[in-house]
Amino acid sequence: MNLVKKVFPLLITLCVTYVLSNSWGTIPPFGKFLSPFHGFWVNAEAPESGEPTEENLQIPGLQKPVKVVYDEMGIPHIFAENDHDLFLAQGYLTAKDRLWQMEFQTHFAGGRISEIVGEKGLASDQFQRRMGSVYGAEQSFEGMKADPLSKVALEAYSDGINAYISSLSERDFPLEYKLLNYQPEPWTPIKSALFLKNMSFVLASGTDDLKMTNILRQYGREVAENLFPNYPFEESPIIPSGTPLDFKPVPVPAAPKDFMGLGSAMQTPEKDPNIGSNNWAVSGNKTVSGMPILANDPHLTLSLPSIWYQVQLVAPGVNVYGSTMPGTPNVITGFNKDIAWGVTNVGSDVLDWYQVKFKDASKLEYWHGGQWKKTKLRIETFKIKGKKDFVDTVFFTHHGPVVYLSHEKAFKSNIPVGHALRWIAHEKSQELTTFYQLNRAKNYTDYTNALSYYSAPAQNFVFASNEGDIALWVNGKFPLKSKLHGKYLMDGTDPAADWQGFIPQAHNPHVKNPARGFVSSANQFSTDASYPYYMGWQYAPSERGRRINERLTAMSKITIDSLRGLQNDNFNIRARKLLPLLLAQVSSNSKAIDELKRWNLQNSAESIGATIFETWVITLQSFLWDDEFASNEKAPMNRPDMDRTIRLIEQEGTARWWDNVLTKGKKETMQDIISSSFQSALDSLTKHHGPMGNEWAWNKHKETGVRHLIPGMDALSRLHIPVGGGGTMVNATTTKTGPSWRFIVELSKKGTPKAFGIYPGGQSGNPGSAHYDDLIDTWAKGELKPLLYLDKPTEPTNRIRKKLTLSVQ
Amino acid sequence: MKYSLGLILVFVVVGALIGMYLPWYAMGISAAVIAYIVGMKTKGSFIVGFLAGFILWVITAYYTVLGHPSTLPGRMAELLPLKGQVSLLYVVTGIIGGLTTGLWVWAGARLRQK
Repeated sequence: MNLVKKVFPLLITLCVTYVLSNSWGTIPPFGKFLSPFHGFWVNAEAPESGEPTEENLQIPGLQKPVKVVYDEMGIPHIFAENDHDLFLAQGYLTAKDRLWQMEFQTHFAGGRISEIVGEKGLASDQFQRRMGSVYGAEQSFEGMKADPLSKVALEAYSDGINAYISSLSERDFPLEYKLLNYQPEPWTPIKSALFLKNMSFVLASGTDDLKMTNILRQYGREVAENLFPNYPFEESPIIPSGTPLDFKPVPVPAAPKDFMGLGSAMQTPEKDPNIGSNNWAVSGNKTVSGMPILANDPHLTLSLPSIWYQVQLVAPGVNVYGSTMPGTPNVITGFNKDIAWGVTNVGSDVLDWYQVKFKDASKLEYWHGGQWKKTKLRIETFKIKGKKDFVDTVFFTHHGPVVYLSHEKAFKSNIPVGHALRWIAHEKSQELTTFYQLNRAKNYTDYTNALSYYSAPAQNFVFASNEGDIALWVNGKFPLKSKLHGKYLMDGTDPAADWQGFIPQAHNPHVKNPARGFVSSANQFSTDASYPYYMGWQYAPSERGRRINERLTAMSKITIDSLRGLQNDNFNIRARKLLPLLLAQVSSNSKAIDELKRWNLQNSAESIGATIFETWVITLQSFLWDDEFASNEKAPMNRPDMDRTIRLIEQEGTARWWDNVLTKGKKETMQDIISSSFQSALDSLTKHHGPMGNEWAWNKHKETGVRHLIPGMDALSRLHIPVGGGGTMVNATTTKTGPSWRFIVELSKKGTPKAFGIYPGGQSGNPGSAHYDDLIDTWAKGELKPLLYLDKPTEPTNRIRKKLTLSVQ
Repeated sequence: MKYSLGLILVFVVVGALIGMYLPWYAMGISAAVIAYIVGMKTKGSFIVGFLAGFILWVITAYYTVLGHPSTLPGRMAELLPLKGQVSLLYVVTGIIGGLTTGLWVWAGARLRQK
């Protein structure tokens, strides 16, 4: 037999083996992936049952043994003998449950997704790095290392993650590595900084400056200011009106000259993230127990693995319970024996754009304050799976990076080209110090000290203590601005337009033990007009804040359960005002009108009225404004918000805006627009769900889902969750966003605090574990789980399922 | 026939022993080496190898699931996409294991042939 014939089968076999060992586009490496010895089969985990199991693991780097007990939700309660071991164990145990998520999210934040998915990730990666995500993380990392306690925390946490990674062989890798066919790399402390900076991306990167400039150029300053006012007509600010100032304000810089700017042309679609949060604390004189109760529910894009990871951290000087973010040490929101704290986002304007005038095509110099100044260059290298590296140069002015040059196409439609970015996320900062100290805080003074280290993303930090104090600080680093500074794109050549320092931290809006007996926030305006500094012109719509304040004012004899009810409140405060105004304009009678008249104004899961109303409102906004504000693809604009629309209906029934300028020779009235939008809303609902009936139920229309971090991974997601709520309800559950963690804590003078919490997911990031999504159903019902707060690992309780000893290697 | 069944048994046992510790295709290579050593006939070698690989992978997967009941096989049967049919997932797993082992056995047997 000749040689060719002899080795021919071997060649074929080698080819087939090669094909089955590698991923092809989105197809996983079939051989490896389906192998019962290496593939996904290995990731199946049996649920715990019966008597608690005991396990001992040797961990390199530990100084003393660490005791860990897991409760029935899979939450680790960690008992260490010093800070170093505490954070090492936190890193190790978090990685054990969430390694892939931690690495994937920091890869995303650092603009490195193309290393995993190839060239299709490059535009997103380049956007991240052009926005200065890595630059900001480096700055922030310098700040964190300046505090020796944070440095220990960061390094020990990182060592813990690496101890876990090095204990893995390929068959133990989390499922997603097998699906996408890559391996975990060693963790480094700067990744924690990247993660924290990414929170600024999630929460404080919204920017309408470009769209506002486009509006300014199209309609002039008077219209822009009239339709986009700088304070809502209806508002209930976070800091109650009449709260006296306890500081002497510093002078505010003079406003720069008015600047028209170039605006810009972009066509990529962009979605409104619609994320916010609620928190409040009620004082003892409003509660049954006489002790303060604190509640918090941060709203984020709901995802699996869960955004949060619950943990109890115990070591000398600290016994704290709460939610952590996989990727950073410490508890982010939670409680200890003495205090509880929670956060919501502050929508202040901490991101501005400066139109840059370069000297020539080399872009090495730019014009500012009457002279040519040198740009700084930063080289970013992108590794791309299956391709050669891509090298990118980013030009920095003293403001910050020029995110897109004027001939480039931006990744998102709200990002102007040819502008430099000034952003709080680029500042050196010490957020870790804040959380480290909050974890150990005993009273109001400790809490305010902790907050003084915090920069971004700015948060409304709500607080309650067992000394009876309640408080709320609108906290972060805020640029000291003249009124409306940065509402529009700014002139990068004018030094008066630069940021001129920051509001002194002690002057941040705050309130302690107000007469009304509660503090609260829901991302609305921080203060009323009497506050001496300008912080921004646009915050989240006021509905949630107004509803919470209305309810908390009315409520007395408050319990944890009554506050749980408020967290799940589906009352549509917008409809209370708007629906009668709308119905007054519609003359026809129909089943849908009857349904709306019968509607109890609750956006409950089964409500049909809610579906009709919400669809009508969206359609009305589009019918009213799109002819003027969405007709030009080359100059994206925002529509005026609902607060402005309601005012238009109430008081400006003959305004020019009611006419649809696209219909020539016909002049529409307010009544025309409101009735035709109603009919169109019904047509659209009928088209999607058939004739009016059960299929129109609010939850079926809204379709809430908790989706896996990899887009399109329905098999690893939980879709069609039957819940009510909505963006303007206290229960702010939308299609993709919602309460990512709800918790309520009642403090106690002597004993342990009583705490309840839930999040839409589970502790494990492994889709093969029962703890992957075991909390979702409880969350969907609006219920909470009792949180286990232990004094020592041997405390008697029937909730322990697993005992783990981490011992010194 | 008996000879073939004996070989299948050997392939399965060796594959199971080394499966955990070596790369996923090692059971194929080991079967090829065995086929070469024993001087297996080319004719029918693929089928023998295929059956061994199929049996080994399906049984191992089945016992893994038995010891670790979870929603994972159902999720994977949806992902691949097999409309959530876990039984089909076993079949596909068996076919991949069988195809690989069958090809390697065929290659090993042919190499030895004069």
